[in-house]
Parts: sequence; structure tokens; C-alpha cells
Amino acid sequence: MKGGIDFHTHPLLVREMADRHPDLARAARETFLIGNTFQPLETLLLELDAAGLDRAVILPIDARTTRGTTLYSNEQVAELCAMSDRLIGFASVDPWKETAADDLEHAVAGLGLRGLKLAPAMQQVLPDDERLEKVYARAEALDVPILFHAGMSWEPGSRLSYGQPLRFEPVAAGHPRLRVVVAHLAWPWVVEAVALALKYPNVYLDTSALYFDNPADFLRFAMTVQVPLSVFERSLRRQIVFGSNYPRVEIKNMARAVRGLPFSDQCLDLIFRSNAEILLGGAR
Amino acid sequence: MIIKLERVEVQSRKDMEMIDVTGEVDRVVAASGVRDGIVLILTTHTSSGVLVTEGVECLERDVVAHLERLAPKQPPEGTYGYWHNRYLAFDGRVGFNAGDHLKSILGGVSCFFPVEKGAVVRGSRQRVYFVEYDGPLARTVLIQVIGQ
Repeated sequence: MKGGIDFHTHPLLVREMADRHPDLARAARETFLIGNTFQPLETLLLELDAAGLDRAVILPIDARTTRGTTLYSNEQVAELCAMSDRLIGFASVDPWKETAADDLEHAVAGLGLRGLKLAPAMQQVLPDDERLEKVYARAEALDVPILFHAGMSWEPGSRLSYGQPLRFEPVAAGHPRLRVVVAHLAWPWVVEAVALALKYPNVYLDTSALYFDNPADFLRFAMTVQVPLSVFERSLRRQIVFGSNYPRVEIKNMARAVRGLPFSDQCLDLIFRSNAEILLGGAR
Repeated sequence: MIIKLERVEVQSRKDMEMIDVTGEVDRVVAASGVRDGIVLILTTHTSSGVLVTEGVECLERDVVAHLERLAPKQPPEGTYGYWHNRYLAFDGRVGFNAGDHLKSILGGVSCFFPVEKGAVVRGSRQRVYFVEYDGPLARTVLIQVIGQ
């Protein structure tokens, strides 16, 4: 199996952008709380090479109301994506702003971004909050997927309750044509996240989960002990996408962990490539 | 007395690899103006190394492979685990590269050579390597020349 997409990366350590926009460097340290060194964009692309992947989805977070900053504005995502055709830019919007739905439309129609990232815990808005309905409806109309941070967050001030999978049910049920990615397997609520995906075919899960041990041991626990691998292989094979959560986890390490699980080759191809292409608006 | 310090960026392209930086050491020494003294080479990272060995591709592979056997990224199942595998708040991530830190310790992080008549004095087979244990990454190698 060659090629594929990492559906979950954060560009917070890209040096070219941090040099141009000092606010990004500050946000990386003080809001995203990542301590690794800033790296040239080339390192991210080499990470993809090392993992045998072609492209990466780049995720921002608009937390202006709750954290006083964006972790990449939509314009900065577009600026970064212009540096490499291997990057697929997503937008983010501040749920507390009246213009959120219009901001999404501008990011998609005006800047060419391909999806929406929301981080309920950091943005302090529950996924089933009525104020997000306009955003969901607009994403559905624009035919772009939404990737939600789900499950546990490390950041201080980001409460666990915002990431519980059942909070996403009204979104999936109320917008059956909207493609929803529940990230990080919603750990520790993997069983609930799997139930959500089993019930709603428009719900996808990404693999970007690591909260202890190492990627290989952690995924073996979450995807064979918490939920048997056969459930993912037989019932959810078309609803799982590969995500690394780079730079919190190197792409090579998460890719090695996923490939180390006893999935069939066909299922691995779906996880690393086909499902992501469908999510991004390819043939369905 | 002349003391010159240069920070050289080395871009590793693989998970683990040996990168010959002998030419960089020679360049820094030549530019320093030092005729007699010493040159120190040090990596600034704890999951990489600096070492000296013969400059042949087969040996480069053997060195990296042997260090990986001594300190594997993933220990054989059912044997032992690393204490480092836990969330590190100062890094904002789980530390799971203890094997790479251990390889760095085993292989060493620095070396030095005499400088005579403005040139590095080294054996005919000796090459200076930056060794990546957890790449790809842009790394910094310090090269300092001290002398007169």
C-alpha cells in the first residue's frame, strides 16, 4: 500500500510561518502548548515521505473568544497551503461570532479551503449547542466535512465533557448529508464513538489517539481491547481515516502503529486513502 | 587566542540515518583563522548523536542497526517498557522515544580533533558523522574552533 492522506495535522511548528507571523509562534507555545522546536516546512513533507503518505490535512483552531487567538487563521492556512500542493487546508470559525457561518463560506469559496475544524473543548461550545446550527447547515450546503476534536484534551481549561461522543449525535442525526469526523477515537469513550459511527453512516473516526504508552501499544489497546478490531474491519471499514495529530505524534510513528494492527490490506487502503478522498468530496 | 562557534543546521531525511559532516567541520576550521588548536563538534539534541567512524555506506547501516538492537524504539513484546512513555506537560505530548535518547547516549553526542597548520588532523579513514535517531528533523550541530 503506497500513498495516502494524513487527515489530522496541526502546522504549529512550521518555521516559515512562525517567522512571518510571530503570533503563531506565541500561540504554539502558550495556547497549543507544544514544546518541540520549530521546523522548516520540508520536515513536515519529509515526515509524510517517511510514513509513505502523499498529503496532509492542515487543521487550524479559531479560539479568539475563549483564548484570544487563532491557531492559524484561515488566511494563514491558505498561505501555507500555497507553499505545497501536498497540503489540504481546512478552515476554523469562532462559534461565538455571529459571522461564523459566513466566515466558513468565505474560507471555502474565497480561500479554497476544503473542510471545517471545530474544537469544542477549547472553543467552550458543546457540539449540540443551538448556536452552531447555522454553521452545520452552511457546511452541509457547501458540501465540506467537519472534523471535531473529541474525547480528552490535554490543554488546561479544556474540559472533558465537551468531547463526549453523544454530544455529537444531534449533529449527525440532524444533518445526515453532513460528513462528520470524530477525532482521536473520542478516547476514552471509544465504545460510544463506535456506537455513533455504527448508527450514523455520516460519522467517521480518525486514528489520532495517544494518551499514554506509545502509538503502537495505545492503538492496540483502543482498537483491539476497548473495541475488537473485527468491528472496525467488518463494520466501520469505510468510516475510519488515518490521522496522526502531528506534531504531538510524528506521522511516521502513528502510521507504523496503524499498519501494525492486523487489518486486511484492503482495509488499510480504505483507512489511509479512499475514505479520506471520499470525505474530501471525492466519488461517493 | 581565537574562539569561533558556528551553528550548522543539518536536515535529516529519514527516521534514522548517518550524515557525513566532515566537510562542514573542515570548512568551519578553515574559515576560523586558527592555525593551531582544537575543534569541538557537538549535537544540541538528545535524540541524535555525533560519532567518528569509517566513511562507508555498509558501516553506516551497521552502526545504526546495532544501536537500534541495543536500544530499540519498541522493545520486544513482553520484555520491558520505557518509563519515558507518558505525557510530558512541558512538551505538550507523550514522550515515547526513550530508545532514541538511549541510542544518543550509547553512540555519544560529541567529538574533537586537533587543528594543525589550519587543518583538521584526523586519521585517513576517519569521518565525522551527525547521527539521526528520530528524524526527519532539522537539527543543529555546534562546531567550535579554539586556538591561535
